[in-house]
Amino acid sequence: MISLWTAIWIVPTLVCNRIQFDPDFPPEVPVSETKHLPGQTDRPSESAGAVRLTSLVKRFGDHVVVNDVSMDVAAGEVVAIIGPSGAGKSTLLRCINLLERPDSGIVDVAGIQFDAATPVSGKDLARLRRHVGMVFQSFNLFPHLTVLRNVALPQERVLGISRTEAEEKAIRLLDRVGLKDKAKQYPGRCSGGQQQRIAIARALALGPQIMLFDEPTSALDPELGLEVLAVMRELAAEGMTMAVVTHEMHFARDVSDHLVVMADGAILEEGDPDRIFTDPEQPRTRQFLRAVLDR
Amino acid sequence: MNEILLTILAGVPITLLLTAGALVVGVLGGIPLVAARQSRAAILRLPARATIELLRGIPPIVWLFIIFFGLGTYVRLDAMSAAAIGLGLISCAYLAEIYRGGLAAIAKGQWEASAALGMPRTATLTRVIGPQVGRVCIPAAASYAIGLLKDTSVAFTIGVTEILYWANDQSRETSDAFWPFVLAAVVYIVMTIPCAWAARALDASLRKRVAR
Amino acid sequence: MIGDWIPSLLGGLGVSLKLTALSLGLGLPLGLLLALGAASTRRGLRAVVIGLVELGRGTPALVMLQIVYFGLPAGGLTFSAFISAGISLALTTGAYTSEIIRGGLQAVPQGELEASSALGINHRDTLRFIVIPQGLRVALPALLGFSITIFQATSLVYSIAVPELLGKAYSIGSETFQYLSVLFLAGLMYAAITIPGSWLSGRVEHRLSRHV
Repeated sequence: MISLWTAIWIVPTLVCNRIQFDPDFPPEVPVSETKHLPGQTDRPSESAGAVRLTSLVKRFGDHVVVNDVSMDVAAGEVVAIIGPSGAGKSTLLRCINLLERPDSGIVDVAGIQFDAATPVSGKDLARLRRHVGMVFQSFNLFPHLTVLRNVALPQERVLGISRTEAEEKAIRLLDRVGLKDKAKQYPGRCSGGQQQRIAIARALALGPQIMLFDEPTSALDPELGLEVLAVMRELAAEGMTMAVVTHEMHFARDVSDHLVVMADGAILEEGDPDRIFTDPEQPRTRQFLRAVLDR
Repeated sequence: MNEILLTILAGVPITLLLTAGALVVGVLGGIPLVAARQSRAAILRLPARATIELLRGIPPIVWLFIIFFGLGTYVRLDAMSAAAIGLGLISCAYLAEIYRGGLAAIAKGQWEASAALGMPRTATLTRVIGPQVGRVCIPAAASYAIGLLKDTSVAFTIGVTEILYWANDQSRETSDAFWPFVLAAVVYIVMTIPCAWAARALDASLRKRVAR
Repeated sequence: MIGDWIPSLLGGLGVSLKLTALSLGLGLPLGLLLALGAASTRRGLRAVVIGLVELGRGTPALVMLQIVYFGLPAGGLTFSAFISAGISLALTTGAYTSEIIRGGLQAVPQGELEASSALGINHRDTLRFIVIPQGLRVALPALLGFSITIFQATSLVYSIAVPELLGKAYSIGSETFQYLSVLFLAGLMYAAITIPGSWLSGRVEHRLSRHV
């Protein structure tokens, strides 16, 4: 049965490699070299691991979700993005790896620059995605693959390394997030906290320079969130560049180097987390913090 | 070409009549069949189940042959009646299964609520469950009807003068092996596509009215 | 008497089963191709594919059979009746299964596509490793159900003189005039495949729904 299915999918996938299944899937636009600012190179240089967003605007229909936002993440820095729901935090984060295409503005990641006005080539997009790992609120593990295959498959397909090598690395990473013994299980058999740790291992396996976390603990019970946060703390301590959209105020305060408070698609204020938590400049920040900390 | 098309169109009323006849038999006959199938008495349930399985398990053309050539040896039957009986019986089985799916889709709470209100079983069935089942079954029944319209083409094999019969007739007459059949296909498609749209629209409007 | 028929009928059943295998072997890859085309982001391609699928689904299998069997030789392509029958049923299979498979592919959650995209896995690999395996698994029960339908549909090729089960039964009937017995026996042979088949597809559906 399995080989029949194999035969059935190989033929069309070979023929149809240009066919995209999902309309929202980023299309492979014909290659057009992105422009670089003078003095900038593709090579991960001293700016490696850095993100610079300049004047980003993202609309959904008439609704402006991100309104002229500029933000930097320095190499090795942990930036936490907080704010009321609907503030555009997740959309902003998703602009960093171009899961959302900004309507205008410039995304500069690890020395690769993307201008909203210029179509992005598939090659550039692939390069960007390799530099940037992402962890989702809903984990998005592949349910038909074992935990081990979830972590190994992207390595094989994206980095082109052998299955043995990919699986060895997968085991090491699963061990690191404390889930080596789950390798042969299917994700459906794992708790939410375990699934999220697997998702982190899956992203790390590609050796990203930057990790994006989109409300990684929001779908989890508090005690399961803790195990995920522990892994994230460890990552931060190792010097990973991270941008984290979160509702975990303790995490934002203790772990982040830089705090960004957003509301209504714009940055309300940003700076040192301790300073903002103890003495926010903006009345709206104070109001928001009081509301979430009182809970 | 025009003449071919006109001749083929002469089969349309027969095709529609056969479809409608079989459907009416099925819609009505499916009710006692599903009642027996869901009965608590094994003496009703098991034969009903076997009947449904056999009617669905044997291909339509084989049923038509069994009735027309098989029973036809003992009883005088014209091709049209044989086809209507055969397709009608098959429809009973398919609709019984559609009704069963509909019954399963009705929340148990509806039975419980009716019982708690002291409604008798018959009234519960005819006033509460029945109408809801009918509504739930419409999309499946509509797509069955569309399939049935196409399945009536098998009646050609026992000589019913429906669309395909005339296509075949024209193909012999004009010794053109291709176009008469293509035209027949077009006629079927033209008949089924509006049916499919109508079914979808009906389903959508009912769904809107019974928002759940 | 019946004992004398059995070998011949079993031979016919073998032909029916081989024809089913040929139809599915050609038709399922075609269905997957059409499903991918119907889900393409290229409007032109999508429109053409959806149009073809609608044509294929709107044409009764028996009409498709006549078109392929009589029509292709007119276009200079001549195949044996068996191969023509296989091609024709494969076209029908492709059209129907493409809709089933498309439904399965669309059941793969958006979040997984995003995750795959964020990991930098390209479209082809995403289709091959993420979307198609899961989509086919979701579609499997319906595909099994359709396989049973297409096995039943092989009885239609009696009309182009392929010596399958119904053809054998009919010719025995015309020799012995025992139409009813031999046709009913053939019917039971069809049922002996289809009834366990639909039971199996129900089991598969049940198992898959339990695991997901």
